[in-house]
Amino acid sequence: MEYFIYLTTTIFIYAILAISLNLVAGYTGLFSMTQASFFGIGAYASAILTTRYGLPFSYSILVGILITTLVSFLVGIISNNFKNDYYMLVTLAFNAIIFGLFVNWQSVTHGSLGIYGIQKPALLGHLFPESISFLILVFIFFLPIYLISYFMVKSPFGIALRAIREDEKVAQLFGYNIKNYKLSIFIIGAIMAGIAGSLFASQVSFISPPSFALSESIFILSMIILGGLSDLNGSLLGAIFLVILPEFLSFIGFSQEVAAQMRQALYGLALVFIILYCPKGILGKYEL
Amino acid sequence: MQVPFQLIINMAITASSYALITLGFNLIYRNTKFFNMSHGIAMVGGYVVFFATSVLGWNIFLSIFSGIFASGIIGYWAYVLVFLPLRKRKASSMTMMIASIGVLSIVQSIVAFLFTNKFQTMPNDLLIGKTHIAGGIITNTQILIIFAPFIVLLGMTLLYKKTSFGKIAESIADNENLAKIVGINTDEFIGYIFFIGSAISGLSGISSGFSSGIEPGMGSGLFIKGIIASIIGGIGNIRGGIVGSFLLSFIENIVAWKISGEWKDIISFIMLIAVLILRPTGIINEKK
Repeated sequence: MEYFIYLTTTIFIYAILAISLNLVAGYTGLFSMTQASFFGIGAYASAILTTRYGLPFSYSILVGILITTLVSFLVGIISNNFKNDYYMLVTLAFNAIIFGLFVNWQSVTHGSLGIYGIQKPALLGHLFPESISFLILVFIFFLPIYLISYFMVKSPFGIALRAIREDEKVAQLFGYNIKNYKLSIFIIGAIMAGIAGSLFASQVSFISPPSFALSESIFILSMIILGGLSDLNGSLLGAIFLVILPEFLSFIGFSQEVAAQMRQALYGLALVFIILYCPKGILGKYEL
Repeated sequence: MQVPFQLIINMAITASSYALITLGFNLIYRNTKFFNMSHGIAMVGGYVVFFATSVLGWNIFLSIFSGIFASGIIGYWAYVLVFLPLRKRKASSMTMMIASIGVLSIVQSIVAFLFTNKFQTMPNDLLIGKTHIAGGIITNTQILIIFAPFIVLLGMTLLYKKTSFGKIAESIADNENLAKIVGINTDEFIGYIFFIGSAISGLSGISSGFSSGIEPGMGSGLFIKGIIASIIGGIGNIRGGIVGSFLLSFIENIVAWKISGEWKDIISFIMLIAVLILRPTGIINEKK
């Protein structure tokens, strides 16, 4: 039961991440490879503030949002100058730079040793066991993020985003300020990823740089490509699929290390097969 | 200012590994026009040599030949199975890039699956003996590593200037449709280019395996640096790539020497972004 709750929590955290990237990549066509770095900034902000300064979780998540907003503003302004594969390359470089900062800025992040002993926030006193109350907390964050995204993509704002994805020049002709739109959705996506990071830090109670490396950005990208671009339920499905499958593999008897390798092989396979044979993903509305 | 002799040797060795990557990468890029991330399969070469010498007990030169050949074959099959169908579908260069990330993930996890994720060193040296120059010591293996890209460049130049192969390759690079009209089977031909390019990539995996050991992730790490060097020298520009490699390696080693080794990755990615913003065509202009 504990395990089941843990898995569900993980799925919701990754679903937030997948939705955050889907807004940027699936709806707007900006294939950002730096989503894991915002995930990491949220996680580090939360971890550092709660363990070192004893701040409550709610404040730490707010500070995390503030920092991700600032960083994503800078990253977004620079990467907005690029398109398609060059955009991927530049955001990939940003992921590598921010990852490098997590590793090397040791006075703040403890480098590759990571940060231990991150507490889970106590929600509703001690009405429920810790794991259940944490699941509820994650769900309390997931639901509004899902709903906001749902209404956002249906709104004129969301339609403008899709117009930018289909044809930037036409969108510009219709009078949309595409730079502002791109920057806004990039920041919104980064904030969501940062929230997911804060939750992730509390869930696993120990964070270190490898969780926010480039491979993690690729993992999130394969989630949304598998589930389907430009569809929120697709992101949820992709998260469920790619979180459960490796767990299933270790459940049927593969060792932990082999299962970790298989996770990487699986998301590689998912990327290749989906792009080759089913370019819309499972539920997607946009073809790669 | 006295520059340590060792620093110059390190600089040249790193530059050579990068240069080998750029040679193969630029070769493929000229004809396909996408960032082929699966070029990071460089580690296959290193691992084949490791396996052939330490387990099978093969002669070192036979092992190196098999390592190069194996990488070439993997690159060729990646093309036939993944990139060729995508080219036929007229997939965008971004889609190709995402698919190539998938290919790299799969190959990397298979290598990790077979040889574990551990860092390993090559069992024996390529050449025995040391040479004394200018008050420092350099091993003969290191000399060979430093000269490897120039040998490959010479071979490539001969192939491109003296044979019809080179003319066909350049005609596809200039205008693929025109090449098709005059009866060149471009799809098949690009397969050969993939074989050669990936074989060179395998050689870079072998050379950096001899200079600094092998691990499954080394291919992607090396490749990312290779792509930075290619962009610094001007993407698709074969000689520019070599200049870019030496420049990148020079800056990295100066940073490692004067500041700290840990910051060199961050600096190289900052360089990538800076070059893309300030001079996207690279520092060397190719005459058209």
